[in-house]
Amino acid sequence: MKVLKFIPDRCTGCLRCELACSYVQTGTFQPSAAVIRVAPLEMHTSYAPYTCVQCAEGWCMAACPVDAITINAAGAKAVLEDQCVGCKLCTIACPYGTMYMDTGRHKATKCNLCEGNPACAQACPTQAIEWTEGEVTDWLGAFAGERAGTNLTGLARFTK
Amino acid sequence: MAEKRHVILGAGTAGINCIRTLRQLGDTGEITLISAERPYSRMVLPYYLNQSISESHTETASARQLLAWKVKTVFGRKAASLEPGQNKLKLDNGEEVEYDDLLIATGSSAARPPIPGAEGPGIHTFWTLADAKAVNKQISPKGHTVMVGAGFIAFTCFDGVLGRSGKVTIIEVAPRILPRMVDETGARLATEWLENLGVRVLAGVRLKSLQPVDGKTRLSFEQGRGFTADTVLLATGIRTNLDWLRSNVSWVEGGGLKLNQGIVVDEYLRSSVPNVYAAGDVAETRNLVTGAQEVHAIEPTAQEHGRVVAANMAGRNVKYAGSLLMNIVSVGGLDMASFGSWDDGNAEAITGLDPRRHAYRKYLFRGERMVGAILISPSKETWLENDVGMLKGLVQAGSPLGGWKEFLRKHPFEIKKPFLAARTTAALIPRTTLGAPTPSPRA
Repeated sequence: MKVLKFIPDRCTGCLRCELACSYVQTGTFQPSAAVIRVAPLEMHTSYAPYTCVQCAEGWCMAACPVDAITINAAGAKAVLEDQCVGCKLCTIACPYGTMYMDTGRHKATKCNLCEGNPACAQACPTQAIEWTEGEVTDWLGAFAGERAGTNLTGLARFTK
Repeated sequence: MAEKRHVILGAGTAGINCIRTLRQLGDTGEITLISAERPYSRMVLPYYLNQSISESHTETASARQLLAWKVKTVFGRKAASLEPGQNKLKLDNGEEVEYDDLLIATGSSAARPPIPGAEGPGIHTFWTLADAKAVNKQISPKGHTVMVGAGFIAFTCFDGVLGRSGKVTIIEVAPRILPRMVDETGARLATEWLENLGVRVLAGVRLKSLQPVDGKTRLSFEQGRGFTADTVLLATGIRTNLDWLRSNVSWVEGGGLKLNQGIVVDEYLRSSVPNVYAAGDVAETRNLVTGAQEVHAIEPTAQEHGRVVAANMAGRNVKYAGSLLMNIVSVGGLDMASFGSWDDGNAEAITGLDPRRHAYRKYLFRGERMVGAILISPSKETWLENDVGMLKGLVQAGSPLGGWKEFLRKHPFEIKKPFLAARTTAALIPRTTLGAPTPSPRA
């Protein structure tokens, strides 16, 4: 199975993945429309790209009352836009916070792995995102624990 | 061994998820679906009311789909009684249906308040497809619509009502709106938001009667002046559909089905009669956060119940992990979500309020674990940060947050760092409802 692999200590926070994602998903260069988001972990030093892990349960898919979320050829849970009514049930069912709402069109939106050719991985200039064989994994937890952890220690005054 | 005869009573979320899952698991037993109504999703009726979808879009299993699943259907009938000793269900037309295993998923009905005129013409509940059609016909852009009751159910259809009425008034007997979904601060934010939209909110008022007057309805109150409305929507609560079982005393005394708030079931969702299962609004199951046995009349719980029952009917022995309370509703463009033990009075509460942005967060802690949460933000902002799902994940995973609890006290609007750093993702990845990946619903 191919997955999006994140190597957060290569991420510079440049947001090119967000731009590429929003362009492929919505036709606009607008990070707020992207379904991958770069999380700042320490003010201007550590970042991590974050999107759907394509979990085995598919909480969003199971919760959808009108079967508007299915599994596409790339193995991604994907929203069928003409079926989505915008009820937001998927957004509270997904425990990862990776279901989004397009508030203009009242539709749910999420990472569909660009149908097997993820734009974020292509656009990343530092190879912090790879489209590769692997397992569904928490790529960010350990890194976030270490880097964001400075928010909890004496270093906090440096970060904020 | 001959194929089992599965009887599914109720074509709501639990019933349809049970049927789909049985077939996904390769169960080839005979399936009979008995239901008063054809299968549709209550959850999407508000979108039918606001005219963004057609009636056919509310369907959850079309005639063609049911045929493909080889389901024998008995629509327009209700159950009248159960003979668990004889594995027989009696219907309201006297017909008898035999089963090898039975799922009771009869759901809930809208309850009308016990006041004069509540059953009158032009007074609607908003619960069934028939209700939605009736409201659709009557509601008018020039009219005055009054919503009686300001709970979660009321607000699920509110945005549709707002877009299609001239004037909207909300009345609530409790001292504040949304009494069982958010706390006082949340209710205050929602009330301000509604008033800014031109909606009149009257909380703490007790309705005395509803009278038809010249094609309109006159509302009278215990105190204060009454007024007239063109359309009245009653959203004054729901009642589980168990009367047909409760009235059937012959077998209750003879060691029949155990009933409490709902049908008492074990962790496999089996009732006290091993080949009778219960799911959805009529089943009393484990609260994921507190461990207490409770009825959670919410869509995601019905869906999980239906699937777990199917797995057990198919002989997979799947335990139900528990139900997590969760709701989200838009109040005229203000998103309000709550999770788990959001009203746990004994929990430690951490709150963040930004009145300028109409944003509110409340996190309930038992020790280092988040056991409940409330989130309120305008829709336009909610999906920029996307905190909603992460709050669900934190409550669901129950990971100890250590020092991140104090971080949230200082930075209540920064949920992503605690979520990621507490390894919530790693805790959640192995979790599935049935112990296996979920197949596509359309496969």
